[in-house]
Amino acid sequence: MLRRKMLIPFLLTMLITVSFQQSQDPYAEKRKQMVEDQIRGRGVHHRGILEAMERVARHRFVPSAQRPFAYHDRPLPIGFGQTISQPYIVGYMTQIIDPRPHYKVLEIGTGSGYQAAILAELAAQVYTIEIIPELGHSAEHLLNELYNNVIVKVGDGYYGWEEHAPFDAIVVTAASGTIPPPLVEQLKEGGKMVIPVGSPYMTQQLMLVEKKKQGYTTRSLIPVRFVPFRRSE
Amino acid sequence: MQKGRQSPNRNRGLMTSLGLHSAAIIAFQLSLMQLISIVQWHHFAYMVTSIAMLGFGASGTLLSLARDKILAHSRWLIPLSMAFSGLLMMIVFPISRGKIMEFDVFLLFSGGGGWLNLLLNYLLFFMPFFTGSLAIGIIFIQNTQHIGTYYFSNLLGSALGGMLGLGLLSWIFPSKVPLWIGMLSWFSGIILTGSTIRKLGISAGLAGMIMIAMLDPIQPRLSQYKSLEKTLHLPEAKVTLRRPSLYGLVEVVHSPAQRYAPAVSLAYDKEISGGYALFMNGDYYGPILPSDSRGEDHILNYTTQMLPYLMGKKKKVLCINAGTGSTVSHALQNGASQIDAVIENRMVIRMMMDDLLEASGGLFRAAGVNIHATQARNFLARKDIPDYDLIVLPLLESFGGTSGLNALREEYSYTLEAFAEMLRHLKPDGMLAVSTWEDYPPRTSLKIPATLAAAALAAGFERPSDHMAAIRSWGTTTFILKKSTVTGEEAENIRAFCQRMFFDPLLLPNLNREERQQFNFLEDPQYFEHLDLLAEGNTNALKNYGFAIEPSTDDQPYFSQFLRLKSMKHMTEVFGRGQMPFLELGYLSLLVTLIQSTILAIILIVLPLFVLKRTSTGKASTLIYFGCLGMGYMFAEIILIQRFVLYLGEPVFAVSAVISSMMLFSGLGSLSSKKLQRGTRMIRKLGLLVTLLLLVSALALTPLLRLTLSQGMPVKVLISLVVTGTPSYFMGMLFPMGIRHLGKQQEGQVAWAWGINGCLSVISTSLATLIAVEKGFQAVILLAALAYLFAGTAFSFNSSIFPKKSVP
Repeated sequence: MLRRKMLIPFLLTMLITVSFQQSQDPYAEKRKQMVEDQIRGRGVHHRGILEAMERVARHRFVPSAQRPFAYHDRPLPIGFGQTISQPYIVGYMTQIIDPRPHYKVLEIGTGSGYQAAILAELAAQVYTIEIIPELGHSAEHLLNELYNNVIVKVGDGYYGWEEHAPFDAIVVTAASGTIPPPLVEQLKEGGKMVIPVGSPYMTQQLMLVEKKKQGYTTRSLIPVRFVPFRRSE
Repeated sequence: MQKGRQSPNRNRGLMTSLGLHSAAIIAFQLSLMQLISIVQWHHFAYMVTSIAMLGFGASGTLLSLARDKILAHSRWLIPLSMAFSGLLMMIVFPISRGKIMEFDVFLLFSGGGGWLNLLLNYLLFFMPFFTGSLAIGIIFIQNTQHIGTYYFSNLLGSALGGMLGLGLLSWIFPSKVPLWIGMLSWFSGIILTGSTIRKLGISAGLAGMIMIAMLDPIQPRLSQYKSLEKTLHLPEAKVTLRRPSLYGLVEVVHSPAQRYAPAVSLAYDKEISGGYALFMNGDYYGPILPSDSRGEDHILNYTTQMLPYLMGKKKKVLCINAGTGSTVSHALQNGASQIDAVIENRMVIRMMMDDLLEASGGLFRAAGVNIHATQARNFLARKDIPDYDLIVLPLLESFGGTSGLNALREEYSYTLEAFAEMLRHLKPDGMLAVSTWEDYPPRTSLKIPATLAAAALAAGFERPSDHMAAIRSWGTTTFILKKSTVTGEEAENIRAFCQRMFFDPLLLPNLNREERQQFNFLEDPQYFEHLDLLAEGNTNALKNYGFAIEPSTDDQPYFSQFLRLKSMKHMTEVFGRGQMPFLELGYLSLLVTLIQSTILAIILIVLPLFVLKRTSTGKASTLIYFGCLGMGYMFAEIILIQRFVLYLGEPVFAVSAVISSMMLFSGLGSLSSKKLQRGTRMIRKLGLLVTLLLLVSALALTPLLRLTLSQGMPVKVLISLVVTGTPSYFMGMLFPMGIRHLGKQQEGQVAWAWGINGCLSVISTSLATLIAVEKGFQAVILLAALAYLFAGTAFSFNSSIFPKKSVP
């Protein structure tokens, strides 16, 4: 009898907690699903990244009209011709630079701030630069509210951020056919720079630039979701 | 007013009005295409206008369904439709860019929605064409026995409208063009009204014209994904120059953050300064490099485009499709003493020599630089040009790919025949250089070596790979094909350059496999396997590849078309359905256009069958006759345009010349058809004659044009007029003769026939392009001949429509 009496308040507490959590974050389930299906399911196994992507409320980084689609398997428009990358691409790019807790990371092209948020969960310090003032200020507001290890600057990413250089890793989400010499300069020896190549709605390739003692190497990476292109049968 | 009883004055007024109104419709179509191309993409412009042009078919359907009621009120319905169409022409585009109707085609394909707005846009743009063609349809149906004269007026007006549209687009800002054209349609309706309304209408029209003249040109809001719109978000970006032109709206933008350094080496450690760039219809066209960029540190010296200059001095250089002159500037910096730059776009040349002279450091007026305003193939056909040390083509594709947006663009500079012609104009040690952005899956970066190897084999080179060299950076690849073999010394120079720049040699004599991936690694190394096969001229490697990488030819000059219909399923499996549009957007949009216009056309053609009396016989013959005429005419027109674009050397001029001359001669044919004996025998004879003429064109046109390509413009224009005019004259007789016979025998089917002709004309434009892409131009012209053969013999299906005896 006593057990049953104890069980009822326990169950009630659980029920209240679960429903409170759900009312707090109605997207939690979708986010979990996203990580399972789109990220882990496609070969991103970095534990820290998976946890970070489950924690960061992606829906807060998209325009309100796009919120119902925030956890869909596709990039979304955020205005000014810019996009928030497909969740998988964010996970895959982050895995490539393999962020460590002591890392200092530079991001070029803050956009909505989602990639910076994921990095902030994993690295010691994140610096991010956005060229479009409207996007930069909006991302700065949100990131400042959520993190104390992200600094946003509105400006031309070409010059990097010399006063905080060198960086362990650089993520260039807004590439345009030129890898600016100052960015290459500001990368630590042994550091990694990742750049997506392709239409924002069809990011197929990621380019990894590595700075080594004897120079630079680049590697064109095909996201795991695409099998290598083969001859048709 | 009953048919055939109008007063001579009314007839003249009606003909004038019809001509003006027809001119307005064609001019409006051109301006709409231009405006939609500016704010969205040219493929979308094509999609929208093809649906809008179905307004012609829809007017035929409405006239079939309510013929008697409409004809009873024709006196006021004709001017009302014309004037209303004019008003719609003025307002539809601004409405489409308003908050409610606006949408972005980019978001459609990316799952971002907007389908309802797309439908609303279709409906909106359809309305001026529908109301406008309703007036034309009423006039035709009312005057079946004088159709030759009215059809002449319609065609002559259309021919002039084409020229008027192009003229207006080259003189005034595109956003104002529909306003002037709408006024033309307004006046064409007003002059048919009674005196009181006419006075009021003319006064209102004049007031409208004053307002339009005073109105500042409004810059339409561009899609946020257009490159111009994105550039304008850069710091301190501003449009410094804006010019309308025949080639499109040209805009020059300056921003310190707008830099040009295509896949520059990671070894480059200098500042890359920003500056000016030129945009055409909102799309990036080219950079304007300042004079200080021509020093030793020329940015292209740090890219793969340096390859030919590592292989000895290049005194005489030919820059094909030189655009804003980056290859010219590069050749100049590398010591060339004579540079011939071929550029099609006269407006760009004018701006570079005038407004942008200072910004470009006087590049186009520099000593040794000769600018030629023509198409590359025309220039190469000239007999007075020298042999070159280097012929250089501009960097192909763009960073991250073009999503197949150029798939349907005819690129005569990249065909097998073009490369063969270039090889003929090289000195014994001369070379041809082609560069491209890397693409994944590899398409352009395989098609280039495939074409170079095929051209080398055709020129009699024993082993093409001995004449080829290529280097690859993190983003671009440059290929060269040398007339003599690549020497060991040249290979060593190239290797040393690659080491300095962190590039990799891709094709060189005695190249080790490991050398190809010292600095830039590919996760999918199959590219190298394909490349080696192609460089040897192995054609099996082409057939087995998932994308079409066979060399393009003058008969199928679609260099950037890579999609094979048969491998679409495989592609969808590899890349996913959602990604396909962004891989080959141009080709897929053509398919979408064809499918949607075919479905709508079938509905429009079938609907009247429910009201056409069962006693109305010979519907199959009517369908075949007018359907084949619509299809045959458009097929012939499209093919002649393609042929003369290459021949006349200036695409805009060629397109307007061919369309205008075809319409003019067809109109003359229509006018003289009045005097011809009526009856099916004459129709059959004419059908066979047109078939014969088109077959002769299929066989003789290419050799004739090739033979006379180097002639002066007057001779070429004369040849063009004869070649396009002769079949067009006879083609123009068949429509009015068919309408006259139908008017006598099955009057109720005349409107239906008008609708069928309109619908099939629209479908045929996209169908002809699809057939040309898949099977070549020769197939299209043969199908055009076949269509006229069917049309000529259509009466055999039912002699009651076209009685075999002549009608007096």
